Amino acid sequence: MAEDIVISGSGLRKQFNENVIAVEDANFTIPRGSFISLVGPSGCGKSTLLRLISGLIEKSEGDLLVRSNEVVGPRSDIGMMFQKAVLLDWRTSIENVLLPDEIRGTIDTDAKKRAWDHLQLVGLKDFEFSFPRQLSGGMQQRVALARLLQTGADIMLLDEPFGALDEFTRERLNDELLRIVEGPDITTLFVTHNIQEAIYLADQVFVMTPRPGRIAAQIKIDLPTPRNIDMTTTPEFNNYVQQVRDVLSGHLDGQPL
Amino acid sequence: MSDIGSDGVLAGVKELSPVQKTLAHGLVFLVLFGGWELGSRMGYVNELIMPAPTSIAYRLYEMFFVTGSIYWHYIITMYEATMGFIIGVSIGMGLAITAAISPVFRRYWAPYAVVFNVTPGIAVTPFIIAWFGFGWSSKIALAALVCFFPPFINTLTGLLNIDKDATELFRSLGSTKKQYFQKCQIPSALPIIIAGLKLAMTGALIGTIVAQFFSASEGVGILMQRFAFRLNMDGSFAALIVMSLMGLSLFTLMEYMDYKVLYWRRHSRMEEVSAKRKKQWLKQNGDMSQA
Amino acid sequence: MSNDQEASISNIELNAQYTGSLGGAVIRHTLIFFVVMFIWEMANRTGFSNPLLLPRPTDIAASIWKIYVTQGNVWYHLWVTFQEAMLGCLIGSVIGIALAVAAVLSDSFRQFLKPYIIIVEATPRIALGPIFVTWFGFGMSSKVALAALVCFFAPFVNTITGLLGVQEESYELFRSLGATRRQVFWRLMIPTALPTMNAGLKLAVGSAFGGALVAEFISAQAGMGILMARYTMSLNMPSAFAGLLSITLYGFLLFRTMEVIDKRVLYWLDDDLMAKKSAKREIKYRQELGL
Repeated sequence: MAEDIVISGSGLRKQFNENVIAVEDANFTIPRGSFISLVGPSGCGKSTLLRLISGLIEKSEGDLLVRSNEVVGPRSDIGMMFQKAVLLDWRTSIENVLLPDEIRGTIDTDAKKRAWDHLQLVGLKDFEFSFPRQLSGGMQQRVALARLLQTGADIMLLDEPFGALDEFTRERLNDELLRIVEGPDITTLFVTHNIQEAIYLADQVFVMTPRPGRIAAQIKIDLPTPRNIDMTTTPEFNNYVQQVRDVLSGHLDGQPL
Repeated sequence: MSDIGSDGVLAGVKELSPVQKTLAHGLVFLVLFGGWELGSRMGYVNELIMPAPTSIAYRLYEMFFVTGSIYWHYIITMYEATMGFIIGVSIGMGLAITAAISPVFRRYWAPYAVVFNVTPGIAVTPFIIAWFGFGWSSKIALAALVCFFPPFINTLTGLLNIDKDATELFRSLGSTKKQYFQKCQIPSALPIIIAGLKLAMTGALIGTIVAQFFSASEGVGILMQRFAFRLNMDGSFAALIVMSLMGLSLFTLMEYMDYKVLYWRRHSRMEEVSAKRKKQWLKQNGDMSQA
Repeated sequence: MSNDQEASISNIELNAQYTGSLGGAVIRHTLIFFVVMFIWEMANRTGFSNPLLLPRPTDIAASIWKIYVTQGNVWYHLWVTFQEAMLGCLIGSVIGIALAVAAVLSDSFRQFLKPYIIIVEATPRIALGPIFVTWFGFGMSSKVALAALVCFFAPFVNTITGLLGVQEESYELFRSLGATRRQVFWRLMIPTALPTMNAGLKLAVGSAFGGALVAEFISAQAGMGILMARYTMSLNMPSAFAGLLSITLYGFLLFRTMEVIDKRVLYWLDDDLMAKKSAKREIKYRQELGL
C-alpha cells in the first residue's frame, strides 16, 4: 500500500433490529493524516458509522480495522466530539478538559499544563475557570475541542460538532479546526449534513444515502490547502457541490425529507 | 443522533417477550408470596405481626362476598374523598386562575401561599374535627384541604410559564385576553394541571383516611384502625389492600383522563385523533383536492 | 411516576410588578395583615364569630407566650416531633435512594420492581399508621417508621428520574474515554441527578413531618400532633392554634434551610456562587502551575 492506512472497512454492516439497517456494505479506506467528511441526510447512518469506528457500538457483519486491528471497543487513540458539547456543568473549563486524564488516572501537573495550553490553543484565554453555563455555545464547543485534544488521540471522530451553532461561529470554528488538525498525524472524520461544509473541510467526502445506509460515493476533493472561505465561490467548488447533490438526489427522488 | 439506537451504559439487556415477562413476574410473585406463606405456616413469621397471605385473602373474600361489610365503608370513603377532591380542586384552581389573571391578587396572596406550602395539610386535622364534627363533613373538609395545594400551584405555574414566542404570536394576531386564555394559556398549561390533579387525587384519599383515623364511625380507615388495635392483623391488612385498590382505581381514572385529554403527547393517540379529524373535515368540507 | 414539570412556589414570580419601593410593599403587606387581624378580633369580640371555634388573635398571641415562656411545655413536644420526622426522613431517604440506584443500575431489578412500585404509589401509604403503631408500639419508633414510609417515595422517584436523565452523548463521551462503570456513576450520573434528587429530598422533609404527626394522632404520649389533638379536644383553641403556628414556622425554617443547602450543593446553578467558586479554583491552579 502506498499510503499509510489507518482505518479500513469492508462489507461493514450494522443492523439494529429486523427493519433498521443503519449501515449496509460499507467499503472504505482512510489514510493517515486525511480529513474525511461524511455527508448525508438525517437517518442515513453516518452517525452509526462513526460510532462503529469509535467502538461505541458493535458491527453486525464485515471487517473494520483500525491500525490493522479489529475494533472491539473504545480505544485511547480515538477521540470523539459531539453536537452537544457534553460538558459537566459542575466543572470549570479546565477541569472539563482534564476529564480524560482523570478517567485514565494520569492527572498530574504536566497534564494540567497541557490542559492549560490546549485551552489557549482553542482561543479560550481568560475562560479557563469559567463554568459551562457561563459560556456561549461556541465557547462550549471550544472547550469540548480542547478536551478532545487532551485525550492525545490522533484519530478524531466529530459528529456534527458545530451543527447547533450559528453560521458565523460555525465558519470560524471550522477554520480553527482545520488549523488544529492540519499535518500528517491527525486523521479526522467529520459528520455533517451541510454539503458546503463537508467539501470545504475535507480531502475526501463520503456521501451517504439512507434506507439502508450506504456509502453511495467517495469523492476526492482537489482544492488547494489551506482552505479559505473565498474558495466556496469558485466553479470547482460548486462543481463538487453539484456532484454531491446528484448522488443524493438520485436516491431521494420523491421521498419526503 | 436520531439514527442510532439507545445503547448507553444501561443498555445491554435482552428484551424479553411479553409472555416471558409475565412468566418472570409471576414467578417472582409466587416465590415472594409462597415464601411468606410458608414462613407463616411454619411459625417463622408471627401471625400477629405479619399474617399469612392466604388468611388476608380469606378476610378479603369474607368482607366482599360473605358478610359484605366492606361495601358501606368503601362507598363512604370514596364519597368523602371524591367530594373533598372536587371542592379542593375547585378552590385551588379558582385561586390559581385569579392569581394568574390579577397581579394584584398574586402579590397579596403570595406570602400566605408560602405559609400554606410549608404547613403539612394534615397537621390541621384536629382543628377540622373540632370545627366540622365527627361526621362526613370533617373528612371532606380535610380531604379538600390536603388536596388543594397541588392543583393551585401547578395551575398557576402552568398559566404563567407560557412560551414567550407563543404569547407574542397571539398578540400579533390581535387576540383578546379571553382568546389568549382559552386558546393559549389553558391548553399549554393542561399537562402540568393534570399532573397536579393526579397529586390531588392521592392527597384527597390520604386526607380522608387520616381524618377517619382521628375520629370516625365509618369508613375503611377507621375499619382498619379498629382491626389493628384489636390485633386482628389479617383484617387490618385486608382493609389496607382495599385502600390500595381505591388508590389504584382513582389512579387509573386519572391516567385515563391524562390519556384522553392530552392526546397530543402520545403518538398512537395522535394518529387516532388525526384520523378522526380528517373524517370530520371531509364530511364538512368535501374533498378539497378534487376541486 | 411521571415527573411532568417542576411546580413549586419558588419557580413563580409571585411578586410580579411591584409598583412602589420594596419598603412600600412591606408596609402595605403589614397593613393588610393588621386590618385582617383587627376585623377578626372585632368579629370575635362583638360575637359575630364563635371564639371557641376561631379564637381571637390576641388570645392566640397570649397562648404562644404561655406555651413558650410561662409553661414552656411546647419545647419538649417540638423536640420529639422534630426527632421523629428527621430520623424518619433520614431512613426513608436512604432506602429510597438506595432502591432507586439499584433499579437504575440493574435493568432486571427495575423490571421486577415496576408492578410493585405502581401498587406502592397508588396506596395511601399513611394508611399503614395503625399497623405500624401495633407493630412498633406507642413510642417514637412507630412515628419514625411511618415518617420513613411516607417520605421514601419522593427521593426514590426523583433519584430514578435524575439518574435516567443523563444524556446519551454523555455516556458515549465517558465510554469513548474508557471510563469504568464506577467512574461513570460517581463522576457523571450522580452529579447530573443531584438537582432532581435534592428536590425529592425537599419534598421528603415535608412529608416526613406529616407522617410523624399522623402517627401521633393515632396514638402517642408526646409530640406536636398529640399536643394539638389534646388542645382541640378540650376546646382550648388558642393553644391549639399556637401549636399549629409553631409547626408552620418550623416547617418554614426547615424549608429555607433546605433551600440554602440546596443552593450551596448545586453551586453550578447559581451565578454568584459560580463566580466565587471559579475564582477560588483559579487561584489553586495558578499556584500549582506556577502561572
